[in-house]
Amino acid sequence: MVASLVGRKAVVAKLGMDAHWRGVIVVAHALRDAGMEVVYLGHATPDQLVSAVVQEDPALVGLSSLSGNHLQECGAVVAGLREAAVDGVPVVVGGTIPPSDEPALAEMGISGVFGSGTPLRTIIDRIAALLDA
Amino acid sequence: MAEQEQRTASGIPLPAAASPGDVAPGLEARLGRPGEFPYTRGIHPGMYRTRPWTFRQLAGFATAADTNKRYRMLLDRGATGINGVFDYPSLRAVGSDDPRAASDVGRGGVAVDVTDDFDDLFAGIPLDRVSVSLVSSQPVGAAPHLAMFLTAAERRGFDRRGLAGTSQNDFLMETAITIAPEALPPAASFRVECDVAEFCVRELPRWNPISVTGYNYREAGADAPLELALTLAHGRAAARELIGRGLAPEAALRQISFFLDAHADFFEEIAKFRAARRMWATFVRDDLGVTDPAAQKFRFHVQTSGVTMTARLPHLNIARSAIQALAAVLGGTQSLHVDAYDEALSIPSEHAALVALHTQHVLLWETGVAGSADPLGGSYLVEHLTDAMEERAGALVDRIEGLGGLVAATEAAWVHTELSKRAFADQQALEDGRRLVVGINAGLDDPDDRAGLDGDVEVQPFALPPGALDAQRRRIDAARARRSEAAVSAALEELGSACADGVNVMPAVLAAVAADATVGEVGTVLRDSLGRWHFPLW
Repeated sequence: MVASLVGRKAVVAKLGMDAHWRGVIVVAHALRDAGMEVVYLGHATPDQLVSAVVQEDPALVGLSSLSGNHLQECGAVVAGLREAAVDGVPVVVGGTIPPSDEPALAEMGISGVFGSGTPLRTIIDRIAALLDA
Repeated sequence: MAEQEQRTASGIPLPAAASPGDVAPGLEARLGRPGEFPYTRGIHPGMYRTRPWTFRQLAGFATAADTNKRYRMLLDRGATGINGVFDYPSLRAVGSDDPRAASDVGRGGVAVDVTDDFDDLFAGIPLDRVSVSLVSSQPVGAAPHLAMFLTAAERRGFDRRGLAGTSQNDFLMETAITIAPEALPPAASFRVECDVAEFCVRELPRWNPISVTGYNYREAGADAPLELALTLAHGRAAARELIGRGLAPEAALRQISFFLDAHADFFEEIAKFRAARRMWATFVRDDLGVTDPAAQKFRFHVQTSGVTMTARLPHLNIARSAIQALAAVLGGTQSLHVDAYDEALSIPSEHAALVALHTQHVLLWETGVAGSADPLGGSYLVEHLTDAMEERAGALVDRIEGLGGLVAATEAAWVHTELSKRAFADQQALEDGRRLVVGINAGLDDPDDRAGLDGDVEVQPFALPPGALDAQRRRIDAARARRSEAAVSAALEELGSACADGVNVMPAVLAAVAADATVGEVGTVLRDSLGRWHFPLW
């Protein structure tokens, strides 16, 4: 359990048509073990994700991509959330994301990028810091 | 001080030094000779002396024309087979023009929508001499892909009976491994898989219509015994179904092939490959009563392990892949893909793909490991582990059969639960340092230092050629402009009827493809007719 995460809600989803679930499910388990309430959507289009965020009112949105679609899909999600006037919900993304794409993701408003090999501990700590801020 | 107990990656206790006492009596009968039952020592008497393994490097990205160039580059540089992977939408038979597909067209594989794509994909490649593995992992996509491959090959004048290759075509890939917005239910996916297989046994005698997969289950979280058990349980289900459809067991069984992982634990992996052959041959002989040697042989392809690759210190992945590939060769594989060192960052660059291909050449030509069949046969340790693997995987196969077989076990979420449980436990072992991986939790001066990625050892992630989405849209538009809509509608309606009536869907899929239906249209009919299933992952 992580005090600042207990009882907070995370909406977690896969982007586009990406096939890999191992990472997102492992991270979802870790968030739950840290005390978060996890709403796992499976695959969601940006529109579906925005609707879910409006409905669930989470503290965090967690996205997963291992197919290389992260720039396009994260951009669409962030734009959709902005359009729906969802404010102050940090969006993080994990998966096979080349570090060279991190500046572009930060620029579009993604609050955290967890590339291949990031320890769960690091992910939890950084999310806790985000939600504490 | 007592020595610390050591175990293999899957938890088999390791003797400090194996001795004759670690090998159960009766070894001779469990081994046989290479090329003889139970094939523990390999499926050919001369193994690599007579038949080197096939250098089959996975490739696929962007458009068919882009991928064709990569295929030809690999063949020019010494690959001996094609291993073609499709993009995320194509694998699921979702059209490139579907809005959900837009960001993944040409990613992770090549985009295919119409038969013209298969013309371009194999242009200039002699399909009567080079075998082609179509990594159409999911039956929903495998059916239209094979129909288009066949149509394109016959247009070029090749005889279908001479076409050699493989479709992955694995229902568990569709329902448990590669998640998708929509998937066929397990029983329906298995039915389509077996429809494709039945068609191939009747029409394409040199085609392996199911590459019964262990690789992807392993990558998703399974340990070695579970990987083997899922593979064998699936093989059993497919064999029984095809025989139940009235095919001659000898004919059906000799066309089933397998696909396993070469993971990090060297001796355990070799033991797994050896146990796999023995267990399959024993099942075929004792449970199915089939004595034809060709039907008993567990023929398999191996890919080295993608999940063991690290993003940091990426050049170490060359060492990892080479060691894993060595295990595959010592284990007697028929065909091999070696992962590229940039696996944890992107799909392979040309440089990384060539380093991987040539690693195979180093193994065959430089190391001398291929000169003698089953070189570790008789090793106390390897025989001990082979027996242990057989026992553990066998217990899991029994468990799956007890659940009603693999289709029922998948429907009941047993497979998903076992995989995700192990994936999480594996990650925890990394987190607390019980498992050490250089570049993750070892070998780094500063765990937060990203050097080795963009720092002193630079690996540029492969940049996809642009324009795949537009190119595919134009392809689909061109097909729609030239075809008869009435003919396509009639063919797709026929396919829907075949689904509903329980007759083999392949003739209807071929007819739809002949009328220029797209992959996405075929997939939509299959899903509309056979149903959609939600993954029980969470």
